[in-house]
Amino acid sequence: MATRNVYELTYIVNSVLSDDHIKDIVARVNKFIEDHGGDVLETDEWGTRRLAYPISKRRNGYYVNVYFQGGGELIPRLERALEIEDDVIRYLTLRFDSKMQRHYETRSHEATRPHGQAIVPESPASPEPEEAAEEEEE
Amino acid sequence: MAIENQEGTRFDLHTIEYVDYKDVELLKRFINEQGKILPRRITGVSGKFQRQLTRAIKRARHLALIPFVADTVR
Repeated sequence: MATRNVYELTYIVNSVLSDDHIKDIVARVNKFIEDHGGDVLETDEWGTRRLAYPISKRRNGYYVNVYFQGGGELIPRLERALEIEDDVIRYLTLRFDSKMQRHYETRSHEATRPHGQAIVPESPASPEPEEAAEEEEE
Repeated sequence: MAIENQEGTRFDLHTIEYVDYKDVELLKRFINEQGKILPRRITGVSGKFQRQLTRAIKRARHLALIPFVADTVR
């Protein structure tokens, strides 16, 4: 009777942390999902963006978008773990319905990913806000 | 409820099935300078679309992708 739903989680990590620390947090979230019977389908890191309003006195945040599949009981535990984690300052978990499923399958969610306004940290090359694909962590 | 002014009606939006809260470009077209959600009588969208739009905007506000309140004149 294990209902496997597809979920979308978007969360904001404190951006003043070092890259390694942020990578560690993302890895830990993914691991948490895997450990509790979930499968991570896709991880999309948008990088550091300016927030529309300050959260916890901070103006920037590191956005991460995860799509995963799992049972219903995973969600409260996941949200509890995110709540406890001090470095995750906001999160939003959504369960897919058929419309979202189609939107995801036709890959149009990549087009709706926020472009521009991303703060590229001291890159020697000229900033390229339109290149959303390049925003991924190297 | 007849839509009186033709200029406000948007026909291309019939192709959008799901209004993604991450689609800031799309969402920004439906809020005013103060950050308020524009009413249907101004934008001319369908009721169904407006409901999805409102849901998406409120989610985007939660994730600080668009502001709750935005003052243009400072």
